[in-house]
Amino acid sequence: MSTTSPAPTSEEFVLFELVNTHYAVRSAFVRRLEMLESVTPVPNATESLEGVVLSRGRIIPAVNLRVRFGFPKIPYDIRTRLIVVEADNRTVGLIVDAAREFTSLPPAEIQQAPQAIANLNGDYLEGIATISGRMILVLRLDEILKIADDLPAGNPVSTIES
Amino acid sequence: MADLNQPPDDFVNQFLDDYFAECEEHLAVVRAGLLNLERFVDSSIADTAQLDELFRSFHTIKGISGMVGLSPAEQLAHEMEGYLRVLRQGEALLSKEGFDSLIEGTKVLEEVINAHKTHAPAPAIERTIEILREVVAGKDTSVTPAKGQPEQTQKTEDKKQWRFLFAPSQARSEAGINVNTVRARLQSIGDILSTTPLVHDGDVLFELIVSTSASESELDALKDLELTSEPIEPEEKVEPITPTSGTSQTISTSVRVDLVRLDQLMLLVGELVVTRARLEKNLKSIRTSVTPVQWRQLQEVHVAFGKQLRDLRNDVMRVRMVPIAEVFDRMRFVVRDISRETRKQVILELSGQETEIDKFLVERLMDPLLHLVRNSISHGIESEEQRIAAGKPAEGHIYLRATTAGELVVIEVGDDGRGIDVKSVAAQAPEVALWDDEGRIDFDRLLETISAPGLSTRDHADRASGRGVGMDVVARAISDLDGSLSVFTEAGKGTTFRIELPLTLAITDALIATADAQTFAIHRSAVQEVIEIEPGSIKVLENNEIILHRDEVLPLVRLSRVFNLKDKKEGSLHAFVIGTGNRATGLVVDKVLGLREVVVRSLSDPLTDVPGVGGATELGDGRPILILDVMEILNASRHVYASQQSH
Amino acid sequence: MSAENKRRILIVDDSRTMRRMVATSLSNIGECRFEEAANGLEAIERLVLGPADLMILDLNMPELHGIEVLKFVRARPMYQSMPVIVLTTKGEESVQREAMAAGASLYLTKPFSAIELEAKVRGLLAEAGDKA
Repeated sequence: MSTTSPAPTSEEFVLFELVNTHYAVRSAFVRRLEMLESVTPVPNATESLEGVVLSRGRIIPAVNLRVRFGFPKIPYDIRTRLIVVEADNRTVGLIVDAAREFTSLPPAEIQQAPQAIANLNGDYLEGIATISGRMILVLRLDEILKIADDLPAGNPVSTIES
Repeated sequence: MADLNQPPDDFVNQFLDDYFAECEEHLAVVRAGLLNLERFVDSSIADTAQLDELFRSFHTIKGISGMVGLSPAEQLAHEMEGYLRVLRQGEALLSKEGFDSLIEGTKVLEEVINAHKTHAPAPAIERTIEILREVVAGKDTSVTPAKGQPEQTQKTEDKKQWRFLFAPSQARSEAGINVNTVRARLQSIGDILSTTPLVHDGDVLFELIVSTSASESELDALKDLELTSEPIEPEEKVEPITPTSGTSQTISTSVRVDLVRLDQLMLLVGELVVTRARLEKNLKSIRTSVTPVQWRQLQEVHVAFGKQLRDLRNDVMRVRMVPIAEVFDRMRFVVRDISRETRKQVILELSGQETEIDKFLVERLMDPLLHLVRNSISHGIESEEQRIAAGKPAEGHIYLRATTAGELVVIEVGDDGRGIDVKSVAAQAPEVALWDDEGRIDFDRLLETISAPGLSTRDHADRASGRGVGMDVVARAISDLDGSLSVFTEAGKGTTFRIELPLTLAITDALIATADAQTFAIHRSAVQEVIEIEPGSIKVLENNEIILHRDEVLPLVRLSRVFNLKDKKEGSLHAFVIGTGNRATGLVVDKVLGLREVVVRSLSDPLTDVPGVGGATELGDGRPILILDVMEILNASRHVYASQQSH
Repeated sequence: MSAENKRRILIVDDSRTMRRMVATSLSNIGECRFEEAANGLEAIERLVLGPADLMILDLNMPELHGIEVLKFVRARPMYQSMPVIVLTTKGEESVQREAMAAGASLYLTKPFSAIELEAKVRGLLAEAGDKA
């Protein structure tokens, strides 16, 4: 079956910050950005699961991306955000240092990550894009949401000096 | 037949929900229809009404699949329709290969549509299409079937035929009286044999011929439809033009509602419940600031509000109820499949199909019931030879029963097979005492053992113990629905699993308690008693904590230990007594805060799939609190305490 | 622009998905309001209750076949010239001929594209407008 609709020229992404590095996830999966209010811890859960939060009447899991990627935790501040994403019939919140921007990226701009970095980061990284001199790590959401082991401490996703 | 021009995705996407819903409706009709058709295989009669219905279903699926650009579904439906056209035009008899190809074709069609829905890779359709074409090509045209109308209107004597005339008008239409509603009403009192538009004196009328056993007074109730009616004399009796056999389409005055909207409605009702609870709290706190008269008035209003809210809640729940037949009908298909796979003759007996369950439960019951039915047939029912040798009928029987008992819906899955081989289970789990002192089987322990995760991976052991894989999945699924599972088995006689599910899933009474400054909730129905424990009264027996409660030893389990929280060191404690008799256990918490009506929000994400947690709720302050799954906690505690013993 | 001045287009198909797709395909045509009927009987009733400027009629429907609907409607003086597009499926050439003989203005074979449908409807409405 051939398709007559052309490939999209550009996709929308939400940008967020984690440990002074910029990341991007596709807007199509992002439901909303929220301030982080009370998180209720879930006992005996995987370490990156900070707990559950109430978001628009639903109680959803909140994953601390720092912990997920092997970074140390920091206390929340006014910039901390919860990115509520929806994929694969799951609604999950991602806790990040800051999130505010939306941007368009043409698929051509997303370059394959250099082998050395790709190896360290498992399957999280779809590629790297550069916007106005900033390096943006484009993430694969489905990999992040997988109930795989969190990356061990000391092996953070980004070893790139930004 | 593949189209070179696919409709653009962004146009089609807005219709996909409708498309999937409509396909599912037609596939349900197809499944029921095919099962009805089975008895006509290799027979010289054809049920044309049923064939017509099946033809039309595939025809519609073909049409809309083409419109949304799902070509494999279109092609497959086209082949199915083609074979059905041949059958319904009387050009061939329904052969066994033909019937099997229809079943197979339906399965593959379902898979193709589902794959599109879940963005999974689609199954290959070429082979199925080939098979269907072979069946059509190889049709035996030597015998043409006679038209059959099975299940003849047996009691035609009590039924009379009436001719109704309906004249549509603007005024009637505004009053809600139109040809659809008229037909729905007539359908509810009898069978509509034909509906024909006529012109009389320049006006358009609809003539409806209805066969009914209704009395004059019952027909009188239709007065508001403003129909003219007259009985048809026996000589003039009309032959049904639209034959009434087959899974006859009922014209309904029902509204199709998105389950998402119903969920939202439930959420809103849930929020009302939470708000009312907050109001109650606030009212209590101002009691001393108002006069007794004012207080009484406030209370009256508040109580009335509470009652109305309960009624609203119940009515919204009712909207979500559907007959369990939806689930049971699928099982008929499954039974057929598995019995062919295992080469066993199996008869499925259903009862209580009209029992209503929350729509939410329908999807979630499919898998557990499927597992249980599969196990029953694969491992429970013996082979024909074995059955005959045992003096049983050659066909095995599987029972699916549903009833309501108060606030519960009870579903039983049973078989008349060999029963669970308890000795074999005991061999796998020697540390568990499966028999009591009198040699009777402890069914609770048996169920726990066969549902323990991890055990189900031992394949040949499963066959030997006759319990099959997947019991842990079933147990988990039932407990996720806040239900309970129990088993009864008798060697040589059979096994029955009993599932109890709360009818009203979403709102429940819960006891609120704290442990290590965290708040938790527990279903009131799980708790026998709430007790207070003075620090000195806890004794330690072989590394287990116990107290004396009502002259009996009550073993204790600390929630803080199971959840890796801090134990409360000083002061009195509270405990929930779970279970009865010598199965009673005390679940220790720091403090019980009270009883609240809470809205259960499911925690379905795999990340939160942690033993001991069975949902969440919030008390109105925006903080989620976890709802405990007591059974899991008690199970988990055995491991926790066991591991602590080795320290 | 009041409802009375809008052109009334009747969409007749037993499939809800089809009705929605047809209505959406035509949503860019101005000054139209759409009505839906799920079976031939309802379609006839709606036409009895008021005139329509165009009808899109599926043929394979339960209760009453589209061709019967068409024949009945064409027999009414008010509807002898109303534009009617019938929807057929592939491989039904004889039905197509029958439909044209019964008075269909055009036929469209499923699956058809939204653009095709819109173009045909615009064409028929324009023609009817000229004749008015």
